[in-house]
Amino acid sequence: MSLFWYLSVSFVLFFCGIAVMIARKNIIAILLGIELILNAAALNFAAYTRFLNQNLDGHIMSLFIIIIAAAEAAVGLAIVIRFYQIRESIHIDDATQLQH
Amino acid sequence: MDYTIWSVGLIFLLPFMAFVVNTVIVKRFTTLAVGISCSAIFGSFLLSLRIFSDFQNKFAADYHIHKVFNWMNLSGGDQTFVVDMGVYIDNMGSIMLLMVTGVAFLIHIFSTFYMRDDARYGRFFVYLSLFTSAMLGLVLSDNLLSFFIFWELMGFCSYSLIGFYYEKNEAGDASIKAFMTTRIGDVFFLLGILAIWSVVGNVTFVDIYRFIGENGFVGKTADLSFFGTVIGIPLATFAGLAIFMGTIGKSAQFPLQVWLPDAMMGPTPCSALIHAATMVAAGVYLSLRMYPLMEAGNLNYFIAIIGGITAFGAATIALIQTDIKAVLAYSTISQLGYMVLGIGVGSYTAAFMHLITHAVFKACLFLSAGSVIHSLHDHHTHEHVQEMPRMGGLRKKMPFTFWAMMFCTLAITGAPFFSGFVSKDRILGDAAVQLVNGWKWYIPAILGYGGAFLTAFYMFRMMFLTFFGEPRDKELYDHMHTEHFSWNQNLPLLVLSVFTFGAWYCGSFTGQSIAKVPGVQNKEWFSTLVTKPDVNNFTHYQKQPWEKVDKKSDLVFEKSHYDASHGLEEKEAHRVHHVHVIGAIVSVFIFLGGLLMAMMMYYWKKWNPGRWTSAFSFWYRALQNKYYMDDLYIKIIIQKGLLNLNNFLAFLDMGIYDRYAVDGMAKVNSWAFKVCRWFDDVIVDTVVVDGTGASVRIFNVVLRTFQSGKIQFYIFMILFVMVGYIWQLNI
Repeated sequence: MSLFWYLSVSFVLFFCGIAVMIARKNIIAILLGIELILNAAALNFAAYTRFLNQNLDGHIMSLFIIIIAAAEAAVGLAIVIRFYQIRESIHIDDATQLQH
Repeated sequence: MDYTIWSVGLIFLLPFMAFVVNTVIVKRFTTLAVGISCSAIFGSFLLSLRIFSDFQNKFAADYHIHKVFNWMNLSGGDQTFVVDMGVYIDNMGSIMLLMVTGVAFLIHIFSTFYMRDDARYGRFFVYLSLFTSAMLGLVLSDNLLSFFIFWELMGFCSYSLIGFYYEKNEAGDASIKAFMTTRIGDVFFLLGILAIWSVVGNVTFVDIYRFIGENGFVGKTADLSFFGTVIGIPLATFAGLAIFMGTIGKSAQFPLQVWLPDAMMGPTPCSALIHAATMVAAGVYLSLRMYPLMEAGNLNYFIAIIGGITAFGAATIALIQTDIKAVLAYSTISQLGYMVLGIGVGSYTAAFMHLITHAVFKACLFLSAGSVIHSLHDHHTHEHVQEMPRMGGLRKKMPFTFWAMMFCTLAITGAPFFSGFVSKDRILGDAAVQLVNGWKWYIPAILGYGGAFLTAFYMFRMMFLTFFGEPRDKELYDHMHTEHFSWNQNLPLLVLSVFTFGAWYCGSFTGQSIAKVPGVQNKEWFSTLVTKPDVNNFTHYQKQPWEKVDKKSDLVFEKSHYDASHGLEEKEAHRVHHVHVIGAIVSVFIFLGGLLMAMMMYYWKKWNPGRWTSAFSFWYRALQNKYYMDDLYIKIIIQKGLLNLNNFLAFLDMGIYDRYAVDGMAKVNSWAFKVCRWFDDVIVDTVVVDGTGASVRIFNVVLRTFQSGKIQFYIFMILFVMVGYIWQLNI
C-alpha cells in the first residue's frame, strides 16, 4: 500500500463532496458534501504523516478536523432549521436574500 | 521710565476695548456702557499723565519714545518690502496725548449730563469711545500709514455723530456733506503718502526727516532736485501740497471750510470734542508733523496765505451769525486758520501751543453753549433754543456757565494773561517778523491782525447777546430753572476754564533749571520742549523694536539744536524779540478795540447794529450767504459741473458700455453658447458618452451570464478553472 492509494481515495472523496455540493439542491445534502470534503482533507493529513514525517502531527490535525467538522455540522444544521422556520423550505434556490 | 507695549498701547486700546464691549452691551445695559466708556478714557488719561510727567522730568527737546513692530513682511527673493507700525511720542505727542485724553474725559463727563434724556444715550458713548481711540491712535502713530487709517476712522465717527439725530433731514445732509468734503482732502493726503513712499521707501516720520536731512536739505533753502518731479512739480512740493490738502479738508481751511458750520447739527458735546478740540486739530497736527516737508517744498507762503484767508474770512462770517453754535463754529475755523498761519510763518511752537490752548478754551466754549442750549427749552415746539436773539440776561440764572464761558472768551480774544494771548499773539508776532522778507508777507500778517480784532468783537457780541441785558424772550426765560452746581454739568466747564490761564503754558512744571539748556531764550517749558524737528538729527537714527525696552533705548540725542529764535543770529534775535514786544502791545490794543466796539453796540447800545448792516448791505448779504461758497459749490461746481459729468458718465455707462460692450458681449456669448451646445450634444453626448455605454453593453451581455448569483454555479466555475489550471501544469 503506497501513498498513491490513500491519496486516490481522498481524491475520490473530495470530488464526491464537490459533486454533491454542486449538484444537489437540498441544503442538508450540501452539508453532507462538505463533510465529505473535510474527511478527504483529514485522510490526506493522516496519509502524509504516515508516509513522509513519521510523527503524530498529521494525526492530531485529523482529530482537529473531525472536531471542527462536528462543530460545523451543528452550526450548519442550526442555520438550516432557522432557514426552514423562515422559508418553510430547505431548497438552496430559496436562499436568495443576499442576492439582491 | 520704562515703557512697555502695554503702558503705551493701552492709551489707545482702553477706549477701543470700551467701544468693542459697548457695541455688544449698549442696548441692555446702557448705564454700564456709559460707565465703561468714562472709565476707559479716564484710564487713558492717567497713562498719558504718566508719560507727560516723564517727559517733563527729562526736559529735553529731543527726548522721545519710538518703538516699532513688524506689521507686514512681504519680502521675497532679493526684494525687501517691510511695513512697520509703531509708536512715536515726542514732546509734542506727549502734550497732545494729555490734551486729548483730558478734554475727552471731561466731555464724556459732560455728556452724561447733556445726553442723558436722549433716546440713543448709550450709542452716543459708543461713538465717543471709538472716536477717542482713533484720535489717540493717530497721536501715537509713528508713520503716515497708520496716521491715515486713524484719520479715516475719525472721519467716519465724525460722519456718524453729525448725523446722530438722523430723523432730521438737515443732519443727514450735513453728515454727508462733511464726509464728502473731507474726502476731497483725504484723497490728496493719500496721494501725498504714496508720493513720499515712492522716494523714501517708507512713510515713518523719522525716515522722512532723515531722508530730507540726508539729501542736502539745510536751513531754509531747499534743494528740491533730490525728490525728482511729478508732472513738472518738484516732488517735495507735490507731496507737501498733497498732504497739506489733507489738512485743508480736515481742519476746514479756506476752500473746503464749508462742512464745519453744517457739522453743528450733531450733539453739542460731539461738536466740542470732534469739531473743536481734537479732530479738526488733527489736520494741523499733521502739518506740524510734516513741517520739514513743507519747508522742503517751499510751501510756507502758500500755507500762510491759506491760514490768513481762513482766519479772517471765517471771523467776518461769525460777525453776523445768530445761532450760538454757528458763531463758535466759524470761530473754530478762524482759530484753525491761525494755527495754519503759524505753520506758514514758521511759528512751529506757537502753532502747536495755539492748538492746545484752542482745544481747551474752545471745548469749554462749546460745552458752555451746550449748557445754555440744554437749559433753554421751548415748551411750544419742545425743542432746545440755539438762537441768540431769544436769549439775553442769562447771567443771573446760569452763574457757573457764565463765568466759565467768560474766561474762555477772554482766552480766545487774546486778553492779557490768558492762554490765547500767549499763543495767538506769538503767531501774530512771528507773522510780523516775516515782514522783512518782502511785501508779500504783509498779506498774512494783516489778515491775522484783522482777524484778531474781529475775534474780539464777535466773541464779546456773543457774550453780551447771551448773558447780558434784558431777556428778550420773557416766557422762555421764566421757564428756565436757576442753575445749581452739578458735577457733570458745571465741573467740566470749570476745570477747563482753569486751564485758560496763560501761566500754565509758561514757566516750568518741574522747576528744572532751563538756563542749563544751551541757546534757549524763551524761558518757558512749552517753547523749550516743542521745537521744529531738526532733520540733521535723524541721520544716524536707529529704530527700537519692542523687545529691547530699557532705559538706554529711550533715546536722547547728544547733538542738540535749539531753534527757539528762528535760527537767526543774536543781532537778529534782538530784532525778533523787539517785533514780538511791539506785536504784543498792538494785540492788546486790538483786543481792547474789539471789546470796545462790541460794548458800544451790544452793552451800552450806543451804536445800532441795524444801521451798520444797512450801510454795508452788500457785504451783509455776502456774509449771510457765507461769501456764496456753498452756492458756488452746489449750484456751479456740483450742478453745472459734476452733475453734467455724472450724466455724461451715466450716458457713457448706459449708452456705450452697457449697450455695446455688455449687450454685445451677451450676443457673442449667445453664439458661442450655441456652438458649444452642438458640440456637447453631438460630439460629447452622442459619440463619447453614449458610445462608451454601448461598448460596455456588449461586454455586459457576455459577462452577465456568469453572474448568475447561484453559489453552486460559482463553485462549479472554481472547480472548472482549478481543473483547467492543473491540466495546464501537466501534472
